[in-house]
Amino acid sequence: MPENKSMTETAEKKQLDKLTRQQLRDLEAKQMTPLQKAMELVILVLPWACFGVALLEYLLIPNNSRNRNPWNYVYVLCFAIFVYNCYGIFAGIKRHKGEKKYYEKLRHSAPLISALFLFFALYDYLTLKTGILTQPFVPCMNFIINAFLLDYKMLIDCTLNTLKLLFLGYTIGVSLGLVTGITCGYSKRVRYWINPIIKFLGPIPTSTWIPVIMVIATSLFGGAVFIIALGSWFAVTVASMNGIANVDKDYLEAARTLGASNRQLVFRVAIPHAMPSILTGCTQAMSSSCVSLMIAEMLGVKSGLGWYMTWQTGWASYDKMFAALFVICFIFTVVTKTIERIKRYLLRWQNGVEK
Amino acid sequence: MDKKVTLKLDHVSKSFAKVESDEVTHALDDVSVTMESGEFISLVGPSGCGKSTILRLVAGLITPTLGAVTVDGKEVDGPSPDRGVVFQKPTLFPWLTVEKNIGFSLEMQGKLKGNEDKVQRMIDVIGLQKFKDDYPGQLSGGMAQRVALVRTLINEPEILLLDEPLGALDAFTRMRMQDEILSIWREKKQLALMVTHDVDEAIYMGTRVLVMDANPGRIVADIKIDEPFPRDRSSDEFIKYRVDILNRLHFGGKHH
Repeated sequence: MPENKSMTETAEKKQLDKLTRQQLRDLEAKQMTPLQKAMELVILVLPWACFGVALLEYLLIPNNSRNRNPWNYVYVLCFAIFVYNCYGIFAGIKRHKGEKKYYEKLRHSAPLISALFLFFALYDYLTLKTGILTQPFVPCMNFIINAFLLDYKMLIDCTLNTLKLLFLGYTIGVSLGLVTGITCGYSKRVRYWINPIIKFLGPIPTSTWIPVIMVIATSLFGGAVFIIALGSWFAVTVASMNGIANVDKDYLEAARTLGASNRQLVFRVAIPHAMPSILTGCTQAMSSSCVSLMIAEMLGVKSGLGWYMTWQTGWASYDKMFAALFVICFIFTVVTKTIERIKRYLLRWQNGVEK
Repeated sequence: MDKKVTLKLDHVSKSFAKVESDEVTHALDDVSVTMESGEFISLVGPSGCGKSTILRLVAGLITPTLGAVTVDGKEVDGPSPDRGVVFQKPTLFPWLTVEKNIGFSLEMQGKLKGNEDKVQRMIDVIGLQKFKDDYPGQLSGGMAQRVALVRTLINEPEILLLDEPLGALDAFTRMRMQDEILSIWREKKQLALMVTHDVDEAIYMGTRVLVMDANPGRIVADIKIDEPFPRDRSSDEFIKYRVDILNRLHFGGKHH
């Protein structure tokens, strides 16, 4: 009956109105073939298989050199697969309840996690089992873990010192950079005086200053803060100056006809418009800060992870050196990721509709 | 409109210095014209005839080289929310939501507190209630231009300046928005001044059409359109006006 048909049609329409993003994707997705489904399952258990490879490689192949506290490495491997399992169970429950986000994340990272286990196995084979990478210069993973467990108090202490130095220098540099950059971008007169300084000092790598600082500065810590701040000041100043100077004139005109004062033109139009450029400057400032930080710690400052690394190398404790290296990698990853998050949040207006 | 205003251009000339040469271009040459509240004035002419220059002078974004622009005898110095402008590009601030864009002007003047309902009314006028928390990047061209229109109208300007506001829209959206702008104008009866390339649009919307020509920019004809709204684009009178204006712009074909 035609009436009946139109009624079901409107019912379907109603459903479309209330569609969420997830439902829309499910609706438009192609049906998976049995083979694809099987592949999906294989990929999800792949980390387990690779974990097995890593574990058996470690336990079964005889060692080439002496190993201490052999079980620590096993614990770490088990802990890794335990975390993977917990997340898997959590994602499974969420998926059952209709929320696929976590499951997709799991599916996305499963191959990478598998590769990581395989890398561990290979590394262990090359170091502990065969000595192709000579011990103790390239210590096996178990040694690095041991070093970490043995010296974790010192490592934490050094980490805190490093972070203190990094954030102090970065914050000072970025805040001053914002002030000079924005005033230079807006006022031609200020730009006249500041520009020569930027042109003159800008191209010099910040590490050049270290010998000078070591001579002049009363405290090496203060000197290091200065160097880190200088690098980030420069990056942020240039980026925000260009951002403000290139503000689309149309926006300024529109704002003026809408009754904005000069002050409002700067703070409510020019700065938001220059925000992408300013934030790019902040990201660059962070990477320059990390470089200066490490150089400062390795050359002069008597604390922090960079100092720890050189110090331990001096004592031929290569395992501890590697442990510190891992901590540095971890910290810088977290810091960069955090800045990226903040940037994405502040620039959320740049995201259009999903195509 | 409770307050009647008179806008006067008194022997106005405007020249611009060319970039990277010592010459100047004469965008407007000795233009005099008087306009009053309740009029909808279309400025039509080829590019380079100075029609946008007139609009920008009235807006206060530029100052005349010679002569004076006055509103009720007072010389225009600088932009003001009383002379609202809608540009060809919507120029919505991409970092503000639709709602915040519409409230921008009130906020700049420190009048947003207590006037939030005004913003809501404007959103209702253009029927974008569903999109009020969206950013301009997510809007279509027509929607964005509607938001730009009410962003200006929220100040209840006594003079409404429209700088080819429909120029970038597709033909159907364009015709619909012509009617929307007309109905807003007919309700408030401000003085509206619209720049356009489109002769039909000029006749369809204007109570007066100022025909302009270039080199140097000047007004060559001031034609009163004596037709009731809404107008019929295919009526004999309409076509007569069109032929007349096209002739004056030297595009009249065999009628010339």
